[in-house]
Amino acid sequence: MGSLARAYGRPLALTLTAILVLWILALILVPLGAMVQQSLWWKDSAGDLSLTIDRLYNDIATLQLDAGNATDAAKKAALDAEIATKQGEATALEAQELNPGKQWGLDNFTRMSSLHLYIFVRTILYALMVTALALIVCYPVAYVVALASGPRKAIILTVALIVPYAINELLRVYAWLMILDYRGVINGVLGWFGVVDLDNRGWIPFLENPSAVFLAMIYTYVLFMVFPIVNTLETLDRNQIEAARDLGASTARIHRRVIIPHAKPGIAVGCIMTFMLSAGSYSVPAIMTRGQGGDWFSQLVYRQFFESNNWNMGSAYAVSLLVVCTAFILLMMRFFGVGLRDIAK
Amino acid sequence: MSTATDSPGARLILNIYIGLFVLYLFLPLAVMSAAAFNSFDYPSVTQWRGFTLKWFVALANDQRLLQGLVNSVLVALGVIVVSIPAGLSGALILTRLGQRSGTVLYSVLVSPVLTPGIILGISSLIFWREFGVPGGLFVAVMAQSSFIASYAMLLFLARLQRQDRTLEEAALDLGASHTLVFRRITLPFLAPTAFTAAVVAFLQSFENYNTTVFAIGGEWTLVTEIASRLRFGLSPVINVVGVIFVVLTLLAATTYVLLKGKPKRA
Repeated sequence: MGSLARAYGRPLALTLTAILVLWILALILVPLGAMVQQSLWWKDSAGDLSLTIDRLYNDIATLQLDAGNATDAAKKAALDAEIATKQGEATALEAQELNPGKQWGLDNFTRMSSLHLYIFVRTILYALMVTALALIVCYPVAYVVALASGPRKAIILTVALIVPYAINELLRVYAWLMILDYRGVINGVLGWFGVVDLDNRGWIPFLENPSAVFLAMIYTYVLFMVFPIVNTLETLDRNQIEAARDLGASTARIHRRVIIPHAKPGIAVGCIMTFMLSAGSYSVPAIMTRGQGGDWFSQLVYRQFFESNNWNMGSAYAVSLLVVCTAFILLMMRFFGVGLRDIAK
Repeated sequence: MSTATDSPGARLILNIYIGLFVLYLFLPLAVMSAAAFNSFDYPSVTQWRGFTLKWFVALANDQRLLQGLVNSVLVALGVIVVSIPAGLSGALILTRLGQRSGTVLYSVLVSPVLTPGIILGISSLIFWREFGVPGGLFVAVMAQSSFIASYAMLLFLARLQRQDRTLEEAALDLGASHTLVFRRITLPFLAPTAFTAAVVAFLQSFENYNTTVFAIGGEWTLVTEIASRLRFGLSPVINVVGVIFVVLTLLAATTYVLLKGKPKRA
C-alpha cells in the first residue's frame, strides 16, 4: 500500500485499490463462494410431508361428514375439536412444506447417481482425448507457422488460422452439424453415389457417435492449442535445428530432443486451455448431439439448474467440474514446470 | 511454406498437411455459407432447390434475432465499462507490488481465465440472486466481466512492462502532482492498449455463449438465441447470420493483411 501511494499518490492509489477490491470480491471470490455454499446444503425432501398432509385432509373430510351426521351435541363438539386439531397440524405442516429447513453437508456430492457419475468420468476422459487429439493435429501446424520463412507467409497463415476463430463458436459447430447430419453433406454425397439410401432413412448416423463431438470440439478449440505452441516455437533459434541436423540427427530425433523440449511450456498451456474448454463446454455437445448422442456433464449441470430446478445439486456438479479442472491445471503446471505467468501469454 | 531446414520430402508432406488443415478450417464455413442461398426450407447444400435471397429478407424481419443483436451490443458495452477500469487497476497495482504478494494477487486475478465458462455463469447467477437480481442482461455483464477483465489486465500488464518509469519520476521531481502525472503521462501511454482491450472485450463478450447461457435468465443475446434455434429446429436464417459473420471477418482480415503487409514490401 505504501509503495502504491508513493507511485500514484494517495487518492489515486485508493481509487485503484477500491476498484480492484470490488472486482475481486463482487466478480470473482464471493460468487465462487456463493456457488460452493449453494452446493453444501439442500432442502428436506417434501415427498413424505405432502403425503402426511394429504392424509390429514382425508381424515378431516371424514370427520366433517361424521360431525354433520352426528345427532348428539357432545359427540359433535368432540368431533369439531378433533377437526380443529387436525386442521392446525395440517397448516403447520404446510408451512413447513413451503419453507423446508436447510440441511448442511456433502450429500449433494455423494448423492450423484451412478449414471451421472459415469457421465462425469466419461466427460473427463473425452476431454482428455480431445486434448490429446488436438495436440497431435496442431503440433505440425504450429511448427510450420512458427518456423515459416518470410514474414508475409507467417501473416497469411496466422490470418488463415484466426479467420475461422473469429466466427462465432456456435456457427462453427453448426457448420459441422450440417456436414454430419442425417441429411447432411456427407450422407448427401454418399447418397448420390448410391452408397446410402436416404429415402429409406438408410443414412449413417454420424451424430450418434461421440467422435462427432470430438471433431467439432477440436475444430472449435484448435487455436487455443496452436497459438501457445507457436509463441514458444518462435523463440527457438533455428541454428539449433541446423546444428542437430549437421551432427546427423534424424528428423524424429530433432523433434524429440530439440523442438519439443523447447515447445514444452507452449504445449502445457495449449493442453490446459483445450482441456478446460472441452471439459466445460456446453455449446458443442448440446448442439452436436441434439439429444441423440451421449450427454456430456455440462448438459447435466444445465438440466439441474433449468429443468430440475435443483440449484443445490447443480452447484455440486459445477464444483466437481471445477475441482477436476483445477487439479488438471495444477498437475500440468507441475509436470511441465510452467508457472501461471507463462499461461497468460 | 515450411522451413529451410526440412528435407524436400518432409516439406511436401508438411505442405499437404497444412493444405488439408486449412481445408478442415474453411470447408465447413463454405458449406454453411452456401446453404444460406438455397431456397430449400431445411439448411442443406446437397438438396439444392435453386438460388434465393429470401432468407436474408427473413432475417431482416426476425424481431427476436434483431433484439438479440441489440442485447448483445448492450451487454458488450456494459462489459467494456466494467472490465477496462478493473483490468487497468489490477495491472497498475500489480506492476508496483513486491514479488510475493504480487504472485498471490496475480493468481486470483488470472484464475477466471482458467475457469470453465459455465462455472463463471453459474456462480454469478447464484451470487446475484442473493441480492434479488434474477438472471438477465445485468448478470450476463457481470459474469462475462469476471474473466474479460482478466484479459484486459493482461493486455495492460504487457504494455506497462515496456513503460519507461523515469518519465513519471522526472515529472514528479519537477513538482507535478500524482494526478497530473497520471492524467498526462500514464493514461496517454496506456490509451492505445485501452482501445485494444475494449475491442477484445467487445468481441469476447459478443461471442460468448457458455457463460452467458447460465446468466442470461429469460433475456437473450444474439448468440443464445442462435443456440436455441439450433436446438429446436434448424432454419437457413441462421446460415444467413453465418454468412454475415464470415464476410465481416474476411473483410477485417483482408484489411489487416493489407495494412500489415505494406511496410514490409516498401
